[in-house]
Amino acid sequence: MHSTGYIIKFTVILTLISGLILSGMFYATEPAARKNEQVFAKRGILTAIEPYLDKPLSQFSDDEVLDLFHTQMDQFVVNTKGEVLKDLKADDISIEAEFKKPAEARRLPVYVYKSKEGPITILSVYGNGLWDKIWGYIALKPDYNTIAGAAFDHKGETPGLGAEIKDNPAFRKRFIGKKIFDDAGRLVSVHVKKKVTDPAHEVDGITGATLTSDGVSDMLVHGIGLYEAFLKNKLPKS
Amino acid sequence: MTTTKQKSKLFGPKERRLLIDPLNDNNPITVQILGICSALAVTSLVYKAVVMAVAVMFVIALSNLITALVRNYIPSQVRMIAQLVIIATLVTIVELTLKANNYAIYKELSVFIGLIITNCIVMGRLEAFAMSNSPWRSFLDGIGNSLGYGIILVIVGIVRELFGRGTLFAGSPIQLNIIGKSNESVQYLIDTSHGWMSWYTNNGLLALPVSSLFIIGIIVWIQRSYNRKLVDVS
Amino acid sequence: MELVNIFVKSAFIENMVLAYFLGMCSFLAVSKSVKTALGLGMAVIFVLGITVPINWLINHYLLSENGLFHMDLTFLRFIIFIAVIASMVQLVEMVVEKVSPALYNALGIFLPLITVNCAILGGSLFMISREYNLPESVAYGLGGGFGWFLAIVAFAAIREKIKYSNIPAPLRGLGIAFILTGLMGLAFMSLAGIDFTAFLASK
Repeated sequence: MHSTGYIIKFTVILTLISGLILSGMFYATEPAARKNEQVFAKRGILTAIEPYLDKPLSQFSDDEVLDLFHTQMDQFVVNTKGEVLKDLKADDISIEAEFKKPAEARRLPVYVYKSKEGPITILSVYGNGLWDKIWGYIALKPDYNTIAGAAFDHKGETPGLGAEIKDNPAFRKRFIGKKIFDDAGRLVSVHVKKKVTDPAHEVDGITGATLTSDGVSDMLVHGIGLYEAFLKNKLPKS
Repeated sequence: MTTTKQKSKLFGPKERRLLIDPLNDNNPITVQILGICSALAVTSLVYKAVVMAVAVMFVIALSNLITALVRNYIPSQVRMIAQLVIIATLVTIVELTLKANNYAIYKELSVFIGLIITNCIVMGRLEAFAMSNSPWRSFLDGIGNSLGYGIILVIVGIVRELFGRGTLFAGSPIQLNIIGKSNESVQYLIDTSHGWMSWYTNNGLLALPVSSLFIIGIIVWIQRSYNRKLVDVS
Repeated sequence: MELVNIFVKSAFIENMVLAYFLGMCSFLAVSKSVKTALGLGMAVIFVLGITVPINWLINHYLLSENGLFHMDLTFLRFIIFIAVIASMVQLVEMVVEKVSPALYNALGIFLPLITVNCAILGGSLFMISREYNLPESVAYGLGGGFGWFLAIVAFAAIREKIKYSNIPAPLRGLGIAFILTGLMGLAFMSLAGIDFTAFLASK
């Protein structure tokens, strides 16, 4: 049996030692961790335009990713009326925080990749999957209508089922070439369906993950819908 | 030469048992029923399972060592909290290291890194072994138990990844594509796009965490058929 | 109404044991009879219901950047959470011993076990990653605990029955327990995606 004084002394010393070790570790690793976090998010964006990059994304080093965002990427922020907001960079916008606001007050990040075929516009979308939040990036070709690529991520979808939206490259590829406007110039977005009846605007869902697929579908309709005014300004007037 | 000689003295038959026993006769997962939560969650990919096993090895070996070093100074009234503080510190070190060095796997493992703290193997070995043994033997016990844990994790991971996704070590630099439909972007060792293997599809059930329960159940069955002394008589 | 939804979701749909497999060690080890399962289950409800909101307060007012110290202290999260859990368990143990010796005798050996039950720490970590607010985290803690209770009692009932079945000897005990848990998990998966928000809103 030890005295109360000894117990307190022991506890304080133990806590101090571990606290010191951890804060030392934390401040030593924080810059690297912060950079990793940025690069991780940026790689997510680049996944949507992977076919347009010079080499596969996995061969890009972290510095090359950051460099690419400096040299070949424009970024700005628009509101739901389609106006570009001054002095804001897309990097500063947390789409998660924006989606807590009412729809008309949201600020929407836009990235533009300067590819050889012209500007590729990347839109951010955000919504609910089966278990938790899902988000994604939709890249549009210079006509602001045809999808050049898509990338999705999720917080907690079922591995092997809903998580395929991120893990399965084939699912991403299904979006390439789809149109978000119909022939009359109305925004219809892209729908994820069990049975595709309209191949221009619909893609196949993931077998066994109907609810996650529905979530992606809703996210695309709602998310791209917010950019409607911005996209309509860009469309060639006919 | 002197160091190896010293090691062999330190490394007698008793120490050998500390390393070998947990692999089979006293396996933490299949015999001691410890550390099962994480075994289920991180085995969808072999790579994840290996990272988890290494992280757990680091935590058990060092927490066993540290606890054994200070075991005579720990007041019994706050024993549990003291042990948990040691474990939690080591786990946070693992978390910070992963976050700074391999962010992708850090994201994949997410809360399960934190849950190493409550991985019963760590706490169980501290209580059962490190509190009453010398630092060096506690360290070996930690290594042995984490190997026994890791071996089950990797076996489950191999079964789940190979038959669930057709790959091995996906996510790591040495990804192997074993079985599946080859196309222009991926080539598989066993091509199922045509030929005699075209009936094969990946088993989606194995991608689900539930499947690891079935696999561990079957591992227990196989192990006990060979190792009769483990059979439950009740 | 959102709170009811969170309670139901965490108890049935996102069940700690059967959907996330947290707290498996004690789930498998302490489910040989319904009576002990009841005791452990009740202790888990109790401890989860207390620790999740307390850890929410600590995370919000001490560790976050807008907390008391205006510093990002999240690297201390694991240590503090586990210390809170360990001391809460000890406190609960002492209170129960004073107030109800009968309950203490029933729960007795299980209380210390709970500290290392992954479900308890998991509850606090999920509460952070899902960004619940205070009332929500109370509902989540209680719901998660109730779900755990339900699962272990149901599982113990099955194990009591299966004792009399003719199972191959090497599969008896642990082996069949794993497979049974897997089957229960599959059954619970069919509850996935049920959302009461619209239903509750219509009331």
